[in-house]
Amino acid sequence: MSIDSAALSLSSRGAAGRPAPWHDWMRKAVRLLLGLVIAAVVWEGAVVLFGIKPHYLPRLSAILAAIAATPQAYVDGFLRTLAETLIGFVAGGAFGVLIGIAFFRLRALREMAFPIFVVSQTIPVIAFGALVVLWFGNTLLAKAVIAFYLTFFPVTVNTLLGLETVDPRQVAMMRSFGASRRQLLLRLQLPTALPQIFVALRLASSLSLVGAIVGEWFGDTTGLGVLLLQAMYTENVVAIWGALLASALLGTGFYACVAAAERRLVFWSAEQ
Amino acid sequence: MQAGLQTKETGPVGSLEDAAEPLLELRAVTKTFGEVTALARLDATIARGEFVTVVGPSGCGKSTLFNIVAGLEEPDTGGVLRFEGRSCHAADLLGQVSFMPQRDLLLPWRNVVDNAILALEVEGVPRQQARAQALRMLPEFGLAGFENQYPHQLSGGMRQRVALMRTFLFERGLMLLDEPFGALDALTRAMMQRWLLDVWQKYRRTILFITHDVDEAIFLGDRVLVMTARPGSVKLEQVVDLPRPRRPEIVTAPEFIRLKRILLEAIEEESIKSFQSATVREQTS
Repeated sequence: MSIDSAALSLSSRGAAGRPAPWHDWMRKAVRLLLGLVIAAVVWEGAVVLFGIKPHYLPRLSAILAAIAATPQAYVDGFLRTLAETLIGFVAGGAFGVLIGIAFFRLRALREMAFPIFVVSQTIPVIAFGALVVLWFGNTLLAKAVIAFYLTFFPVTVNTLLGLETVDPRQVAMMRSFGASRRQLLLRLQLPTALPQIFVALRLASSLSLVGAIVGEWFGDTTGLGVLLLQAMYTENVVAIWGALLASALLGTGFYACVAAAERRLVFWSAEQ
Repeated sequence: MQAGLQTKETGPVGSLEDAAEPLLELRAVTKTFGEVTALARLDATIARGEFVTVVGPSGCGKSTLFNIVAGLEEPDTGGVLRFEGRSCHAADLLGQVSFMPQRDLLLPWRNVVDNAILALEVEGVPRQQARAQALRMLPEFGLAGFENQYPHQLSGGMRQRVALMRTFLFERGLMLLDEPFGALDALTRAMMQRWLLDVWQKYRRTILFITHDVDEAIFLGDRVLVMTARPGSVKLEQVVDLPRPRRPEIVTAPEFIRLKRILLEAIEEESIKSFQSATVREQTS
């Protein structure tokens, strides 16, 4: 038997073991939908069956009806909060990766600045938020800055961690090919760190939403956080649940997007 | 200077002068790490087109020798390092020697072709051109049809061949192979050895090959260097004048056995020394 045929038989066995990806995807989607429907039925049924007062838990159908009655407020709020979240997330992610690289390259900088970074993260976000509002006013930017503040730190830490896991033998090999520091970074170190960076980005996707919503509490007219606050002041329980559902949709959707990007870009780490 | 120019004019066709001047020359090369002397006054020369294998007890400084020749580590001052007739620092050899480490070290996010062209890319060859060059080489490395597979989809032997292809594509005067088949099972290893000889004879590269395996050292090499226990130097230089191409059954030929006996004896002596010094260290510490 030649080398080729041995390898071929090996790879075809591997391919047969895996089901078709499309089929797999469909089955997952159907199950997810089924789970959501069951949860909705349980919610609705429990409220009716046990006579739970709407003050504690309104019926799901009542919440959906309330959203349908004034859809524009929810759509506007959703888009506004999404914009704040996205700007904060992208800026925080980019800044985190850059600072992570800088800390990796320059040990002195890391020893000087890293403790300050840690201290910055111990300040409660509410206290920091007050300052940001003083600086930027009640603008979209102010919310994005708070989202950024919650986002950059985990990304910095994980970028640094990821860069430090690079196999020194691989670095030696690249150097023996005559690789420059830039080539080392782009062709070896950053790709190696990518799985770690994505762990932080998934976390950051939820944190940036928290930052945006908390930012809106300092004062604004549109946004999911604003809807939440207004509903709370008027003790409109149905509206609180409406804003909650919209936030959940935004948070889940955003997380799913980041996770999907991860699966596409870091395809190798799941399969090794 | 004059002599250097003359060799250039005679061209790549190996003339007598060319063969006379070694490609790589190490004279009295020493390397210490703090208290430990890894290499002590090591001498070695490698001629153009030669296949030299290095064997020795574990911890004899083989890897240090390789790192120096690959340009990754600078030897202590006092020794002489000459490459292509010019005296040089180890750092000058970075990018001049195609180095294949023990493990395949393939990048998991690159497919077979893109892993193979890594060194070319670093060198600045345009990606399309490098890929075309790699695609032409695939069949010879038993990788035809696998160009778009990723390392995790390949067997150990195939991964090793991708790594070898990466080394071959990086066309340099000297190839350094550090136990490239150490992690493979015996059958795959035997197959890879024969295949490497075929490819070597076709491309006529100069190879310095580290191994633990005496059979492998004799089967592949024109010359075998046996290293001493730490501090490492060359204990024995054995010319292997077995005819080429070498058939697998050559390992049972009387001449092969005779060489093996000589080499094993030399290694045995050194292994005992390094074992004893390890025991002494244990007792004193």
